[in-house]
Amino acid sequence: MNNQFTFEGKQRTTLIGFIILGAICLGLSFLDNTVPYHMRFWSNFLHNTVFFTGISFISLFVLAAFTTAYGGWYVVMKRVWEAYSQFLIVGLLLMLVIIAGVWGHFHHLYHWAADGITDPNSPAYDPILAGKAGFLNKYWYTFGTIGFIGMWYFVFAVPMRRISVAEDTEGTTDFEHHERYRKFSAFFLPIAAFSSAAMIWQWVMSIDSHWYSTMFAWYSTASWFVSALALTIMTIIWLKSKGYYEQVTDEHIHDLGKLLFAFSVFWTYLWFSQFMLIWYANIGEETIYFKERVTNYPVLWYGNLVMNFVLPFLILMRNSTKRKYGTLILCCLLTFFGHWWDFFMMIKPGAKINADHAYHAAHSAGGDHGHAAHGVQGFVSGFTLPGFLEIGIFLGFLALFLYVVLGQLAKASLVPKNDPYLGESLHHHV
Amino acid sequence: MSAVVSKIREPLITGGKSYHDITEDLCSPTESVPNATWIFAFVASVGLLTVGLFCIFWTIWFGIGAWNLNRTIGWGWDITNFVWWIGIGHAGTLISAILLLFRQKWRTGVNRAAEAMTIFAVMCAGLFPALHTGRPWFDFFMFPYPNSRGPLWVNFNSPLLWDLFAISTYFTVSLLFWYTGLVPDFATVRDRATGLRKKIYNFLSFGWTGSAKHWQRWEYLSLVLAGLATPLVLSVHTIVSFDFATSVIPGWHTTIFPPYFVAGAVFSGFAMVLTLMIMTRKILSLEDYITIEHIESMNKVILCTGSIVGVAYLTELFVAWYSGYVYEQFAFYNRAAGIYWWSYFGMMACNVISPQIFWIKKFRRNIFITFFMSIFINIGMWFERFVIIATTLARDYLPSSWSYYYPTWVEMGIYIGTFGLFFVLFLLFTRVAPVVAIAEVKSILKTGGDQYVGKNATHAHHHAASHDHGHDSHDDHHAH
Repeated sequence: MNNQFTFEGKQRTTLIGFIILGAICLGLSFLDNTVPYHMRFWSNFLHNTVFFTGISFISLFVLAAFTTAYGGWYVVMKRVWEAYSQFLIVGLLLMLVIIAGVWGHFHHLYHWAADGITDPNSPAYDPILAGKAGFLNKYWYTFGTIGFIGMWYFVFAVPMRRISVAEDTEGTTDFEHHERYRKFSAFFLPIAAFSSAAMIWQWVMSIDSHWYSTMFAWYSTASWFVSALALTIMTIIWLKSKGYYEQVTDEHIHDLGKLLFAFSVFWTYLWFSQFMLIWYANIGEETIYFKERVTNYPVLWYGNLVMNFVLPFLILMRNSTKRKYGTLILCCLLTFFGHWWDFFMMIKPGAKINADHAYHAAHSAGGDHGHAAHGVQGFVSGFTLPGFLEIGIFLGFLALFLYVVLGQLAKASLVPKNDPYLGESLHHHV
Repeated sequence: MSAVVSKIREPLITGGKSYHDITEDLCSPTESVPNATWIFAFVASVGLLTVGLFCIFWTIWFGIGAWNLNRTIGWGWDITNFVWWIGIGHAGTLISAILLLFRQKWRTGVNRAAEAMTIFAVMCAGLFPALHTGRPWFDFFMFPYPNSRGPLWVNFNSPLLWDLFAISTYFTVSLLFWYTGLVPDFATVRDRATGLRKKIYNFLSFGWTGSAKHWQRWEYLSLVLAGLATPLVLSVHTIVSFDFATSVIPGWHTTIFPPYFVAGAVFSGFAMVLTLMIMTRKILSLEDYITIEHIESMNKVILCTGSIVGVAYLTELFVAWYSGYVYEQFAFYNRAAGIYWWSYFGMMACNVISPQIFWIKKFRRNIFITFFMSIFINIGMWFERFVIIATTLARDYLPSSWSYYYPTWVEMGIYIGTFGLFFVLFLLFTRVAPVVAIAEVKSILKTGGDQYVGKNATHAHHHAASHDHGHDSHDDHHAH
């Protein structure tokens, strides 16, 4: 069995081609200034960075959770998640661009980062944001992002990967590598739970800077998790089609499919809980978030539910669909794109409001906050729906992600040879 | 399930049991005369139940004014106890359904007792809203049946009504699940019995013969019920949380409530399972079936759910500050530093801080500490509900209505009575049905018995073989 993945030149070229395509699309989106301050570019950059960094983070979280729970079945394919987790450092580099923008005022993604927001004498003064300034400030944003992603990567992802690979050659029957791996895993879980929530609030929730929801961090983490699962299934099926991973059988794929089904439903549960509670209580400060999306972004809004709940729920309900590669890949494409779409909807409407708001504030003499005309807003490409540029950027980031991941996969055996649970995993059947 | 078991897994059945030993050990409590400990416990439980019945009678006779509820605090001990018992009822279905879907073998040692506990806990819970209506003989009004009451109709918009549906559905499915598991075990008891006892158990086991077709249908039904119960177990406490979170009361209206209530429920449910199982395994000598390994696994679930609850508490606190909404900020300040500060302190200490000792393996495997902690957590989860309910209501928007709530002896008596009810039912259960699922434990003997897996396995060839299997690919690779 061939367990050593080779990252072929042709694959590299294809991926680099897509990365270039993504870069070009990103550049073109900078030129589109329909929404002021190059917001199309900046929101695309943030959206894709957060999405793929999150997939990388959640892969590490999955490894830690499964290890701590004494899981055995997944071990044969754990190298895929290990490889995913190595993208974190690229995510950090990408976030540095956003951070630079916060300091240099290159973008208006975050209203709290504008000048004079906390100064009572400034026309831009915002008492609510002044109250939040202890958390929503550029220092927290900068050092939180660098500190937490840095910690995920350097303190956990890298050592865990190193231990796992070392086990292939130095592994003993005392399984001391596994013991160490387990300790890292257990420590990562609570740290990840707190730090990811803090960063999601900063990166995404603070775009709609007045709005808040205690569910938000768990909701978006669930979104990451489903996307990571979908991408994992597609990666494994692709590797199988190339002749690798013969040991990964329909039984493993079936279980991954079940997880995809279960966590699509779980995501919907969180979606429903968050939406229903806010809708039911009908407090203006909270409902405005959904009101904006339902009114001005109806395709995003309903499409989100169709792609991430209705279709995967109906298709994956049957046993056989989780064992057929065709239908399973269809569902993975749907949910992977669907959760990218979900993050699109979390980020874009708020980003547009911030840019418009900043523009009006700067261009109206009396400091009067120019309110956009009430009623449904017209079609704005790159905001109302993802346009061709957004799709190109998405593919570019995906290619970058896969380039890093495949490079990592080629560095070690695809199967962790001396993992204590490998025997269970190889003989796994449902 | 895979027959290959990793070398580092601990056995789940100790004492080198054979299939026959399992039958003997697990059926014997139903076949012998109860010992003195059991009789003492039973009498004590009946005593508590009597106290409860007296206080229920008192409440109905004198009316709901016998409780200390007042204008602002319309929910006090009654709803606190209701949510507390419902929460405890979550572990059973979690163990039987979700752990079944996750193929956790250790569930077989505790699932039967946990499911029984679920059913009894839901009964105790149901008592409180039933009494809170003041005229329990009109409680059937809560069901939207085709009625002769004219335009009077239930309020379908109210989460309290959804709660009624959720809990009655949950109770039904839990009962079915529990009974389905009992059918083959009742047949085992029947096959060893004579006379009237044999007839009764034959009736209870629906004339089970153990044919392949019976087993096939039984397994199919178990899976279907597990599939139904999994969303149900999430929905019940989700809807309990809706009772609070759909309101506009600061401290209640927060979107994290549904998953956080579910995690808290599982947390308290596992604590109660531990309390019960540590006693049961001692009294009925079941140490070989409910091993330290089981206790450690449950302690891990407790650590996990306790920490989820901890993350949720801190999220709530943080977002209350972050929201910039003064009433929300006050609600949380009031919880931590207001008149009921002691209950917030108790909640934090018991639910979040003290379970952290389970990071240390030695404590997870210590029976005394586990027992102590399980009681501690049950107290802490009671405080949590009290904090959410009484603290919030005692300080509402209108300072002129602020008041302090404490229970009357009648309210305390009813709560004590539910313990009586719970333990009477549980003690009876341990005499009439196998406390550990015989058929399910037998199904894991070859992969969980200590003669097959673990350090002292005598059938060493089995796991040595599995280890070699694990190295198939290894050898292949060397050949490259």
